[in-house]
Amino acid sequence: MLLFTRRPGRRLAWTAAAVASVAALSLSACSGSDTAGANGASGSAITVFNGATGTITENFNPFSPTALQPTLGVIFESLYWYNLASESEPTPMLATGHEWNEDGTELTITTREGVKWNDGEPFSAADVAFTFNLVNETPELNTTGLAATAEATDENTVVLSFTEQSFMQEPEILGNRGIVPEHIWKDVADPVTEVNSNPVGTGAFKVKSFSAQSYALEKNADYWEEGKPAIDEVRYISLETADAASAALTAGQVDWMSAFLPGLEQLLKDQEDLAYVNTPALTTSIYTCSNAELGCEGPQTDVAVRQAIYHAIDRTQLNKLAGGGFAGEGSPTLLLPERDAKWIVDPEHKVAPQTADTATANKILDDAGWTLGADGIRVKDGQKLALTIQTVTGWSDYISLNDAMRQQLKEVGIDLTPTQLSWNEWNANQTGGTFQLSLDSIGLYASPNPYYPYNQRYHSDNTTPVGESAISGNFARYSNPVVDAAVRAAGSTNDEAEQLAQYAIVQEQIVNDLPYIPIYINSTLTEFNTSRAEGWPTNDDKYAFAASWKAWDNGIILKTITPVTQ
Amino acid sequence: MRYVLQKLGFYVAALWAALTLNFLIPRWMPGDPVDIMISKLATRGPVTPSTRHAIELLLGTDSQQPLWQQYIAYLGQIFSGNLGTSVVYFPTPVAKVISQTLPWTIGLIGIATIISFLVGIGLGTLAGWKRGSWLDNVIPVTTMLQSVPYFWLALILLFAFGSVWQVFPLNGGYDVYTTSIGLSWPFISSVLYYGTLPALTIVISSIGGWMLGMRNMMVSTLSEDYILTAEAKGLKPGRIMRTYAARNAVLPSIAGFAISLGFVVAGSIVTEAVFSYPGIGSALLQAVNSNDYALMQGIFLVITLSVLGANLLVDLLYTIIDPRTRARA
Repeated sequence: MLLFTRRPGRRLAWTAAAVASVAALSLSACSGSDTAGANGASGSAITVFNGATGTITENFNPFSPTALQPTLGVIFESLYWYNLASESEPTPMLATGHEWNEDGTELTITTREGVKWNDGEPFSAADVAFTFNLVNETPELNTTGLAATAEATDENTVVLSFTEQSFMQEPEILGNRGIVPEHIWKDVADPVTEVNSNPVGTGAFKVKSFSAQSYALEKNADYWEEGKPAIDEVRYISLETADAASAALTAGQVDWMSAFLPGLEQLLKDQEDLAYVNTPALTTSIYTCSNAELGCEGPQTDVAVRQAIYHAIDRTQLNKLAGGGFAGEGSPTLLLPERDAKWIVDPEHKVAPQTADTATANKILDDAGWTLGADGIRVKDGQKLALTIQTVTGWSDYISLNDAMRQQLKEVGIDLTPTQLSWNEWNANQTGGTFQLSLDSIGLYASPNPYYPYNQRYHSDNTTPVGESAISGNFARYSNPVVDAAVRAAGSTNDEAEQLAQYAIVQEQIVNDLPYIPIYINSTLTEFNTSRAEGWPTNDDKYAFAASWKAWDNGIILKTITPVTQ
Repeated sequence: MRYVLQKLGFYVAALWAALTLNFLIPRWMPGDPVDIMISKLATRGPVTPSTRHAIELLLGTDSQQPLWQQYIAYLGQIFSGNLGTSVVYFPTPVAKVISQTLPWTIGLIGIATIISFLVGIGLGTLAGWKRGSWLDNVIPVTTMLQSVPYFWLALILLFAFGSVWQVFPLNGGYDVYTTSIGLSWPFISSVLYYGTLPALTIVISSIGGWMLGMRNMMVSTLSEDYILTAEAKGLKPGRIMRTYAARNAVLPSIAGFAISLGFVVAGSIVTEAVFSYPGIGSALLQAVNSNDYALMQGIFLVITLSVLGANLLVDLLYTIIDPRTRARA
């Protein structure tokens, strides 16, 4: 190899290369100015960060679990929209009315008139019928367990016929299913792996361009709601970390993102263009493996221990230390005290105690036979009251919670040992039941009706013995025939008063047994840039669940905001 | 010729071992991809009990097949170029995910490594030639920068040049607002502009090693007899430095360079995390977090092939560069 051999003109070549690269860099520095999100010549544009990290792969198929987030809500719409941020009736979207028959085996839906697909074809009830039949016939797409056939009886009416009573399927059918056009999808070879690159939907926006690093949506001129949307273009980007997101936010590059930034008020103090909204929706709770009969081991299988923990923790302090002061007050009924006020039967159970009640906790433990040992930790029948609580490495607020609770529970003689695991291991432990206590959250179902959390978390059908995977959701291995019967009864009726009576029974049991010990309602912080678009949800007007990653609500917000006129 | 065949045979055996480990290791990790996907979905919205069955069918996870059958199928698929379908990015094939991210990683990290090597070798040559000069003081600085944790250095530089002085962009691989991927000058200049700061951090944090190694080799080479002969013959100092001293001193560094080229693909995770660069490192991280066997195996395969390939290339190149190794061939 003739390294460093002096050849005529070689030095010249090196110099030329050096000059060229410097010139290239300086030229590119001039031309590649970062005008992120600025108003283009043609109209208003905003940038959204919805939590996408790394490379983006194209998938606009509304049936796929890995579809890009704006597919559900912004490009495709559902029949109704359920507002999870505040108590309200479902908003009609592609449907204007619905009715059940008495048995709950037939649902008649009236679809909206005057809607067009974004390729110009008219929308009709046949598209709705086709969508539900496709889901019913393709088991890979049937994530909701739909067991119904659909028929379009006329231009604007669809009838869904179920094999059994199905009142509780309503929110999933009406609020969590994007409607697809029959004229496109009847020719699709495999709806499971279809990528749907140029999606034809009824939503307010359609796809403009796509690359593995970013994609843009543009306004759908034929949208069924007059005058909407007001924004011309929405661009989605991908960022790796919360640091990158907050740097982009303060630099004014992102208009809408959801990230928990602990010093948020401090960060936004000097920034007039930035605002935030807090829509608490998930109850941070201690999951306990509570049922010794199904194989759980440890002191937490004793109901007295769980009740003592419930009373002994100081929720105000936890909110300050870990929740940043943004968390809401939790409820032992595992519902949201403000939004779900009508579903909480006993006003005493509305809100969990916000300060530590060590006297009650001590009394409960004393009465159950846990005596205080010499080292300050309680003992019963030779078993120490020592518990391990697991959480995920990197969830810094939950790690702070564990550390704070450790000190708080020491006061009543409980020895809590926090452990941090990788997400995979933590999840495997929870589903398999091989844990004592685990920190996680509960919430975000298709509608605010308590049937969904109660069914998923408390019904014994959804649990398995320790060692098997209880992926259906009852990780606490809770099994209570009274609760089972009440939940089933609530699910078999459409009458809210009757449901309330059943939930009263459920709440009485779960408030006593506490297989999931609520801490507080975890904040969902969403940050906005108000200099390019206005009309975002605010803390006083939560017209939608504002998280940038939330399907369905994203469509509502994007069509409500208007550009700021200079 | 026999030498080359021997080398190739060894590398084929190494490749087989790597492929087998590549198959086994992901399967020893705890967690089931279906459960993981469902739990991830559950954090974003409602998930019903029937979701698991649907997703199992969707992903076609035939984990009921005995291990050796999966292994044979895996080997067959590798050699026919079918790397499978990703779970994280379902239904995108693994080959597509790799093809849309690998060029960015190779481009940024590859070029940064080459620049770091060339500049480090050049400075090391000068430092060794002019012993006792001010250049000797540069070495402790560069080695200190190398021992500083890379992510910390990257974050500080990003904060300084991206947020405070706003000279370089904060994130991304190119300007997504004004250009799109293609062979056009605006795109290329945008890529260069966005890649400058990440490349700079890589160069700063790795130049110390090359410089130190080269300088030490120069110092020991300069005490050889042939250098004295060349000086006595009256050759120009510059020519002695380059053609006689550096050419011999650089040989160990070339082996090191080959190894670091091989790890270009794997070593990009931190860079991508800090700069939100659209490379393959974050795809690997997501694959590991979701037990996406197919994607993990595909990326490990790429890493393995690049390491083995770079090593093989340097092994063969060495016989060309250094005539002394040819004598025995």
